[in-house]
Amino acid sequence: MKLLSIELKKILPYKTFWIIIGLYFLFLALGIIMAEYIVNAMVDDVNRRLPIPLPHAVLFNFPDIWQNLTYFASIRFVLIFPAIIVIILITNEFTNKTVRQNIVNGMSRSEFIFSKLQVVFLLSFLISFILMIVILILGLIHSDSQSLSMILTRFSFVIGFFIQMFTYLIYAFFIAFVLRNTGLAIAIFTLYTIIIEPVVYFFLRAPFMWENKVYTYLPVNAVIRVVEYPSIPALKKLMNFELQDHVSLLACSIPMIYAAVMIAIVYLSFNKRDM
Amino acid sequence: MKNILSIHQLSKRYGRIQAVNQLSLEVIKGQVFGILGPNGSGKTTTLGMVLDLIRPDSGRFQWFGEEPTKENRKRIGAVIETPNFFPYLSAAKNLEIVARIKDLDYSDIDRVLKTTGLYERRNDRFKTFSFGMKQRLAVASALLGNPDILILDEPTNGLDPQGIAQIRRLILQVAAGGITIILASHLLDEVQKICSHVAVLNKGNVLFSGAVNEVLAVSDSIELAAADMIALKAAIESHPSFKSVVEIDGLLLAVFSDVVRPGDINEFLQRRTINLTHLAERKRTLEQHFLELLKETQS
Repeated sequence: MKLLSIELKKILPYKTFWIIIGLYFLFLALGIIMAEYIVNAMVDDVNRRLPIPLPHAVLFNFPDIWQNLTYFASIRFVLIFPAIIVIILITNEFTNKTVRQNIVNGMSRSEFIFSKLQVVFLLSFLISFILMIVILILGLIHSDSQSLSMILTRFSFVIGFFIQMFTYLIYAFFIAFVLRNTGLAIAIFTLYTIIIEPVVYFFLRAPFMWENKVYTYLPVNAVIRVVEYPSIPALKKLMNFELQDHVSLLACSIPMIYAAVMIAIVYLSFNKRDM
Repeated sequence: MKNILSIHQLSKRYGRIQAVNQLSLEVIKGQVFGILGPNGSGKTTTLGMVLDLIRPDSGRFQWFGEEPTKENRKRIGAVIETPNFFPYLSAAKNLEIVARIKDLDYSDIDRVLKTTGLYERRNDRFKTFSFGMKQRLAVASALLGNPDILILDEPTNGLDPQGIAQIRRLILQVAAGGITIILASHLLDEVQKICSHVAVLNKGNVLFSGAVNEVLAVSDSIELAAADMIALKAAIESHPSFKSVVEIDGLLLAVFSDVVRPGDINEFLQRRTINLTHLAERKRTLEQHFLELLKETQS
């Protein structure tokens, strides 16, 4: 608790932290508001060519809302915001050289790493918790039947989302510790998430359309696939194949293995390197 | 006598450069210990190693007679090179973080802020401070909780004359309280004004160490000339406290191991029937002396 209280002293008065957190929730809210409108515009478009029209999508009733909101909250462009926060909070320690001062003052290197892991955990937990509250409120407003079993059927998606958030933020933690430079780390991390990996994914996928699924093991892709699709009945019909209806343990384990390896590398190299 | 810091055969190499070479030192309780050397002589690397920032290649060190741990680092107050704080936090908030790490309560914060003259600015953000104030905050942070030893690495570097004076006054004031201090500096004058003991470093080696007044004792030289320079030189060399003599621009420059006044020399030479045409005392600056010390060991 001592380490966490020191971290909170560093973070809570930091304006940039609040601005980026605010942007994250702003984008999320906009995404949620626009999602239903956009999906239904697609459905309307398709319906013009269909003899039997598809029903309008309803995103916000139980139990679909669990999957839909965790899906929207974990698309690449949204996920990047909390990751940037983690990168800034860690690289700041290197650019301000406060990491040196912390060690000189009697913090061990392992404690320093552990304090940042606590921040990553707390941030993932709080974002997941807030999302859960939003889901419960929106769901209760939009659903007719409100039996408890109906409400909690797909609760596992929030746990899946937490794993997505935590592992992705560990990737950010890793890049920050390795590069130690705010601008560089943000640029490379963003570029990788939004451009490099999707391009690699595309090229890996094209020749291996059959059973070989190497592309699913790319680090960020492995995170994204934990909640791979939204649950929209109309979309299921359109895409013509079975969409996920639960979070699979296997899907969670891949990014968790990546995260564990990254934490181990940071631990070993940080304890050896000169400050 | 109690050992605060013992360094034994510590070495660190960066690529082709041997930054610190088999360095050994002892700092005893109550000393104001200067580590003196030009830039790149290994002062900061040595301090970095004993503060766990830099991993030594070989050798070992002990704090307070114990193997180094994070717990005994909490008894050390250190100012390393530049003042390192969070720019968006106030002076007091930055010190709260330091206090938490060192397991101290906040009650000492006001005291160190007052000692360093920053109490009025305690709620201002660190980034609004002048460099001199930042450096004083670093000293304040090092003083938190009355550490057993204070480490200052180039504390006056980059400060204006007023800032230098403030920091030096602060160090002397702290030293007067009996606290052990290690001061790394490339300024001989600074070490001589503040320190009781000194180790002179060059290229990662300790050249000399001991009490300041012994190691840095300044012997003045005497300029001499006579009609017969050869006889003069022979006579000077026979003086009981003769140390060295060189001929520069038709003058002999003689250095003696004791205090020798020009009058004594004149009398000494007249007894040997040498009449001087030139006699003058030449005071060497400390800086010159320091450079000569370095040069002697390089050749």
